[in-house]
Amino acid sequence: METSESIFVVIKKAILGFFHGFLPDWTVVIISILISVTAIVIFGPVTMMFLTWLERKVVGRIQNRYGPNRAGIFGLLQPIADGVKMLTKEDIVPRAADKVTHFLAPVIVVIPALLVFSVLPFGRGMAAVNLNVGLLFFLAVSTMSTIAIFMGSWGSRNKFSLLGGMRAVAQMVSYEIPMVMSVVPVILVTGSLSMVSIVEAQLGGKWFVLTPWGFFGAIVFFLCGVAEVNRTPFDLPEGESEIIAGFHTEYSGMKFALFYMAEFMSAFAIAGLTATLFFGGWDGPLLPSWLWFLVKSYAMIFIMIWFRGTLPRFRIDQLMGFAWKLLLPFALLNIFVAALWQMLPAPKNLIVSGIAEAVILVIVFFASRKDSPKKRTYVFAD
Amino acid sequence: MFGFGVLKGMSVTLWNFILSYVYPKKGITTVQYPEQKKEVEERFRNFPFLVYEGAPDNMRCVACDICSKECPPKCIYIIPEKDAQGRVQKKPATFDIDYAICMNCGICEEVCPFDAIFMDHEYELAEYERLSSLLYHKEDLLKPVEHFAKIRPTDYGRIEATRAAKGVKGRAQPVAGAPPKPAETQQSPPATS
Amino acid sequence: MDVLHNLARLGFFAATLVTLAAAVMVVTLRNIFHCALALILVLLGVAATYISLKAEFFAVIQILLYVGAIMTLVIFAIMLTSRIGDKTVLQNNRQGLMSFSLLALFNAFFIGSVIKTSWHLNPAAMTANVDAGVLGAAFMNEYVFPFEIISVVLIVALVGAIILGRSDQ
Repeated sequence: METSESIFVVIKKAILGFFHGFLPDWTVVIISILISVTAIVIFGPVTMMFLTWLERKVVGRIQNRYGPNRAGIFGLLQPIADGVKMLTKEDIVPRAADKVTHFLAPVIVVIPALLVFSVLPFGRGMAAVNLNVGLLFFLAVSTMSTIAIFMGSWGSRNKFSLLGGMRAVAQMVSYEIPMVMSVVPVILVTGSLSMVSIVEAQLGGKWFVLTPWGFFGAIVFFLCGVAEVNRTPFDLPEGESEIIAGFHTEYSGMKFALFYMAEFMSAFAIAGLTATLFFGGWDGPLLPSWLWFLVKSYAMIFIMIWFRGTLPRFRIDQLMGFAWKLLLPFALLNIFVAALWQMLPAPKNLIVSGIAEAVILVIVFFASRKDSPKKRTYVFAD
Repeated sequence: MFGFGVLKGMSVTLWNFILSYVYPKKGITTVQYPEQKKEVEERFRNFPFLVYEGAPDNMRCVACDICSKECPPKCIYIIPEKDAQGRVQKKPATFDIDYAICMNCGICEEVCPFDAIFMDHEYELAEYERLSSLLYHKEDLLKPVEHFAKIRPTDYGRIEATRAAKGVKGRAQPVAGAPPKPAETQQSPPATS
Repeated sequence: MDVLHNLARLGFFAATLVTLAAAVMVVTLRNIFHCALALILVLLGVAATYISLKAEFFAVIQILLYVGAIMTLVIFAIMLTSRIGDKTVLQNNRQGLMSFSLLALFNAFFIGSVIKTSWHLNPAAMTANVDAGVLGAAFMNEYVFPFEIISVVLIVALVGAIILGRSDQ
């Protein structure tokens, strides 16, 4: 139990101790950084490969199919087969494309997706960098993928790509606002922007999701996160049926794989961040801390895939209306509820903030009812 | 109410997901093709074959060339056998069907006056080469009449009954007279079995 | 540890160099979309400079606001312009020499004054760990009036934008 708890920390310490024997101090610091970087650079793509398998498997099961089961046991080697296929495909650059932008976009899109892993606490003492503005860092860096997506869509010189890019930018800018607003209560209660202290504030089962504000904050945050990484109910930027594949229409081979990789890694990062902010991060009984983190993150990932297997795509006006008319006011009022929770003494705050949350829920619901999607009436059917 | 429809849909998909693990018989509809195969229906028809009785030499085909003439994509090629004096025998020397061209219309079976060609149940014809390997020769096409009885018992019973009523036994004898075409036109296609 | 310190200093200079080079690219590149991308690089370089000066909060806010929000809007605005990569658009006019000499004059004064000023360093401020909490408290207590004024100005701008953008009138 104790060894499994801190196995990765112990391994890192052992390696550092080994080098400390004969190398000067400053190289040890650099090696320490390199170990963390290597761990993340390996973890990201491996997670992505596994997620592609998991997504196809779960969506298959939802649709009464088996999913991939030919390559290896349970089809576990399918991602490797896909990777080989991607690598050996021809790399096509459109003649009219802006060559530099077209080339740089898939490179740049991976950078923020990998960078955000550096502040996620994977377990007790397992955050690569304990930045005291870790949460803001996460949000700031993840916005940079917008630029990369736009570069790709513009550089392809394809009208569908450009439409997809425009949609991506509009969507990400809109959903960033309720996303940041839904995180504010957590910062308010924790009093810190560091991910490590946010987890430490929830130790011992005091997960934020169990509070009235945390529960709805988690829902708002998770929905915004799904929208930020362009996953299914919000995947307008890459709507296959309308704009072929959106911003990555003109990409093939490994460049396309990089876009795909960035999308899945960001999805995992969002899942991990939801787990960290609202579900207690690595906090949990019996199992080692890093396993708890992975279990929670994969539970979030499962919900994302479940969405994908269930929900059809939004229309663009529904998408925008959902962000601006429902999530944003709700996230703003949620801050107020969190303040109530924080100010009142312990037993009273649950009742008061619970009632306040319920009132706000009803108000927002009825206020936004005018704009909620109508039941469709068919003229000729029925 | 807005939002509850989403939850309802999600519960359906979750139920499907769980069912596929706890009760795969109902939860999964996939047939694992190369290992498992679906039973084909009796009236499934795919690619013609030639019928023989007893030995492959004793085939029903008399090389009348009707099927070859009727074939819409012209995928049947027949050369009748000739004896030493060069007289045409009632037997094909060459009977080729190019499966790459055949479109499974079944007209050959319909028009054959001698019940010599029927549609098969074969569907696994994938080949690595597309010209010669899909050109089936007489030896590849010949199958015993028992095979026909096995794959399409209803049609077999009906056709054998009409053959017996007309006194056709094995091959050849009645062919000495005029081709009994009009009598046998209502063969297989209108079968409603 | 001295090596690490020097490495950090090297990082600072590298960030500055990238920032300056990208700034030159912003004004010289022909394609206005490329200019916008170079501007993003400038802003990221400034953020990197902040980090090397141990002001992570500002660096992150810089990325969040400028790269994440403002540059996105700039790119959106660029998409609405015509002749994005047109070679016939003139990049400079005939007053180049005059503006350059004026700029040189200004810079001479500016650099001279920077060199001449004896910078009074406050040792308490040098070592103080300014994090978001301190900043927030300062906004809410000491500087609450300017903060609120800025908020009002922003809200007025927001309302104005909505009124301008309304389609049904």
